[in-house]
Amino acid sequence: MNAAIEKRRLRVGVLTLVLAGLFALIVIRIAVLLALDGSRLSSLARGEHSEQVTLRAPRGSIVDRHGEAIALSAQAFSVYARPARLLRTASDADRIRLAQTLGLSPAELTARLNRPAHFVWLARRISQARADQVEALGLEGIGVLSEYKRYYPESNLAAAVVGMAGADDQGLSGLELQYDRLMRGGPVELREDRDALGHAILDSPLALRNAAPGARLELTLDAQIQARAETELAAEVKRSGARRGIAVVLDPFTGEVMAMASVEANGASDRLHNPAVQDVFEPGSTIKGVLAAIALEDRVITESQKIFCENGQWDVGGREIHDHGSHQWLDLQQIVEVSSNIGAAKIALTLGAQRYYRGLRAFGFGRPTGIDLPGEAAGIVRPARTWQQIDLANHGFGQGIAVTAIQLASAYGAIANGGVWMRPFVVKAAYDADGNTIFIHTPQALGRIISPTVAHSANVILRSVVNGEDGTGHKAAMEDFLVAGKTGTAQMINRATGSYYQNRLVGSFVGFVPADNPRLVILVVLEDVGHGHMGGLIAAPVFNEIASEALNRLNVASARRAYDAASLLPVSSAETESITAVVNAIGSTQPQRDRVRDSRLVPDFRGLSLRDALHMAAEHELNIQVEGNGYVTAQRPAAGQPLDGTPIKLSLGIAQQTAAMQPAAGRVHGRRRGGA
Amino acid sequence: MRFGLDRRLIYHFDWMVFALTFAIALVGLLSVASASYSEHRPFQMLIIRQVIWTVAGAAAMFAVVMFDYRALATYSYPIYGAVMALLVTVGVIGQATGGSRRWINLGLFTLEPSELAKLALILVLVRYLREEPPPGGLRLKQIAVPGILLAVPAALVLKQPDLGTMLTMVLIFVTIIFAAGINLRTMGILALVTAMAMPVAWHTLKPYQKERVLTFLNPQSDPLGAGYHVIQSEIAVGSGGSWGKGFLKGTQARLNFLPEQTTDFIFSVFAEEFGFAGSMLLLGLYAALVARGLSIASKARDRFGALLALGLTAMVFWQAAINIGMATGILPVVGIPLPLVSYGGSSLIVLMAAMGLLISINTRRYLF
Repeated sequence: MNAAIEKRRLRVGVLTLVLAGLFALIVIRIAVLLALDGSRLSSLARGEHSEQVTLRAPRGSIVDRHGEAIALSAQAFSVYARPARLLRTASDADRIRLAQTLGLSPAELTARLNRPAHFVWLARRISQARADQVEALGLEGIGVLSEYKRYYPESNLAAAVVGMAGADDQGLSGLELQYDRLMRGGPVELREDRDALGHAILDSPLALRNAAPGARLELTLDAQIQARAETELAAEVKRSGARRGIAVVLDPFTGEVMAMASVEANGASDRLHNPAVQDVFEPGSTIKGVLAAIALEDRVITESQKIFCENGQWDVGGREIHDHGSHQWLDLQQIVEVSSNIGAAKIALTLGAQRYYRGLRAFGFGRPTGIDLPGEAAGIVRPARTWQQIDLANHGFGQGIAVTAIQLASAYGAIANGGVWMRPFVVKAAYDADGNTIFIHTPQALGRIISPTVAHSANVILRSVVNGEDGTGHKAAMEDFLVAGKTGTAQMINRATGSYYQNRLVGSFVGFVPADNPRLVILVVLEDVGHGHMGGLIAAPVFNEIASEALNRLNVASARRAYDAASLLPVSSAETESITAVVNAIGSTQPQRDRVRDSRLVPDFRGLSLRDALHMAAEHELNIQVEGNGYVTAQRPAAGQPLDGTPIKLSLGIAQQTAAMQPAAGRVHGRRRGGA
Repeated sequence: MRFGLDRRLIYHFDWMVFALTFAIALVGLLSVASASYSEHRPFQMLIIRQVIWTVAGAAAMFAVVMFDYRALATYSYPIYGAVMALLVTVGVIGQATGGSRRWINLGLFTLEPSELAKLALILVLVRYLREEPPPGGLRLKQIAVPGILLAVPAALVLKQPDLGTMLTMVLIFVTIIFAAGINLRTMGILALVTAMAMPVAWHTLKPYQKERVLTFLNPQSDPLGAGYHVIQSEIAVGSGGSWGKGFLKGTQARLNFLPEQTTDFIFSVFAEEFGFAGSMLLLGLYAALVARGLSIASKARDRFGALLALGLTAMVFWQAAINIGMATGILPVVGIPLPLVSYGGSSLIVLMAAMGLLISINTRRYLF
């Protein structure tokens, strides 16, 4: 009997093992479901019974430098349906009335309602009046939600710069694309749980949760200057029969873009394309100002040196170069003034491919400027080693290279500000919905590319284009301000044949004003104009108009008027002396070398704005490193220390913010005349 | 026959089986409450009924504990006969639900005879096998009668159709004859014959049963159709995480994604709300109960008591294993209640009585 019990116990033992094994299998299975599939399954579970509709908080607005609105988001209304509920309760007549109210055909409405979804949009961003009409129908399964609609109060002002945002609040082009992440409103999730049969579990209306509106962008653009640029450009496009016009206005000391306009002949404005940064053209003679600066900087030519201009016709490697007139011996200024291609070609040949190429690159050609706009083109400057002699000669007067408008304007900005290449930008600052600063754009200097002396020489040379007897840019001259600049007339390239069109031209003018204390760089380009439409004839007048508007807007006082006023006053000889000194100081950005050289001490930057600090650094030929925004609060080494050649570190703060709110003119009248 | 309270009965009362039974029943009450919960009506008739049945089950349990299980040997055949009669009856006048006739409406409640049939089958098998097997173990000749005793209820249940209960019966049968000492060669031959009979059995399955087996092999083949049950259940179990979504917080059950969530898929409801920890706790409770049952079986004084304890334990084990295996996707979907947890009076009362019987067996080994 005991043996039987033993046998039975053995069998029970075996059974125990088998059952334990099966239990273990189940435990493992549960662990696998959880550990490996846990996340997948739980998201599967979520997706299965919640219907999610994402709306967005309002997109951030875009304002100009004075706070004027350029892009806004306004409340609009969207109508949605829950097809199942609507179809269950609404009669055919109800549906026809709904379709009529929404402006849909009954067939279209039916098609939308038959989509296999629990939630469908019937109309988006409609007016409140119409939304009220829909609600008045009192249909079950129809609801109205508030959304936001983008609109541009100044209609097409700066359209190509601002770009556009799509129906679902996604940036598609321009700033709307570039700063999409910042400007986009936070998501508003409408969630509704539903059971396996698709019935809403909560009968309550869709719950809206608060979400943060997008950031507000403050641009460097000045809406008034921008508007004037667009108007003048449009008028000239019409007058000259150009296919397109582009204008850029820059602050040479900071790189701030104050206006960036593009106008098509048919009046259309393209929000998806910004020619000023995305398209290239041959600069033509406008490059000669840059060539002069490079040649002077590299000391291959002196200002007094004369070059023989071959009586207007010169053979280089089997190709003929022509001038507009017949010139003999010209110095650098005269070459630029009359825009001699032969003179420019000879200077380029003297420079050599390597040096000219390096110079063009330093002036920002052949690479994107890094402006905060999408899709920027790099322009075309082929590597120096591929240049034949004729290429080098042609590049000297701007043939065979291609630039963007923003590149050309920035290059002239460097000449205007005394030799520092400033990166252009269009967004000054961004603020969140509560007004807190997200970022403030600090002007970015990429380095000194020419010495202040050379910059001054180039400045003076470029004045002769406008004021000189044989200058090509007389139409840019202003009564109250000195203007420096360069005209350009280039032939367009026939892309099919690769050769130049004989009578399709690009006329341009680029310059800065006041030449003796540059505040603005302005570039005007008119593309695809006919024969005889020289840059000096069509682009220079537009420059003139934009410049008047902008200088007036900036409250820039005329030095000539100040001089005239001063000379009329009864003054003592001592006072006359000091006023003359001031006027001379204004009249020339010639560095006061002697004083600097003698002292060899670190100047006092404290209390200066960034603009003035850069100006002072340029005068003293110093390198500075800037940190922060606002006004210089500290510097290292301290003022009065001997100069040791290392960059001077400036810390900027906003301590003097209130002082800075004084009219801009105060800066001109204040410090620069501080001696008086 | 002894009937009545004995001091030793209290002294040797098996508190462990008692505690485990009630712990599992409590899990059952929580799960049924959760599965039937709705915000509008927190207390549904369902959960009230389940509470009543738990009380009734406890009463049945105590009644059985008082009872000397050895007397059951005498009544095994009559009980078996009566239950077979009920099974035949249900096939004729049974209440049809979801395509199968399983219940007899008794006015106050509906009786599910197939639950009783499992217990009756155990009793009759154990009664028949209580004599020691001949040397060399049970051979075909000795298991022919038990085979017929299985075949009758199995066929009747399959006719309902209730594949799950039939499967449980077969597994209980296999477990009992193995413990009763089947000749290993005979067992091998039977296993071989069964395997060869599979293709034939396949053709006797109903189309929906075939479909279930096929979808078990590849549930994703038809996620919204036949594979739906398994996938939804796996989602529920898998989405529970370590600690679960919390009592009454399970979304799969709350939103009626789970089929048969108060009965066949009750485990998924529990696993979703109490997570891995809860699942392990419940499995631990079953494991402890089964281990205790096996221990009682190996310690029992007489062969009848030992085989009876084993049969009852096998019933709990196989039902739990098949039910959870099905809910977690390792076994095909066959409708079977989770013992002591699923909603349903017949199953609950029968199982609690069975646990009473287990206590009785363990307690009485000290009485004689």
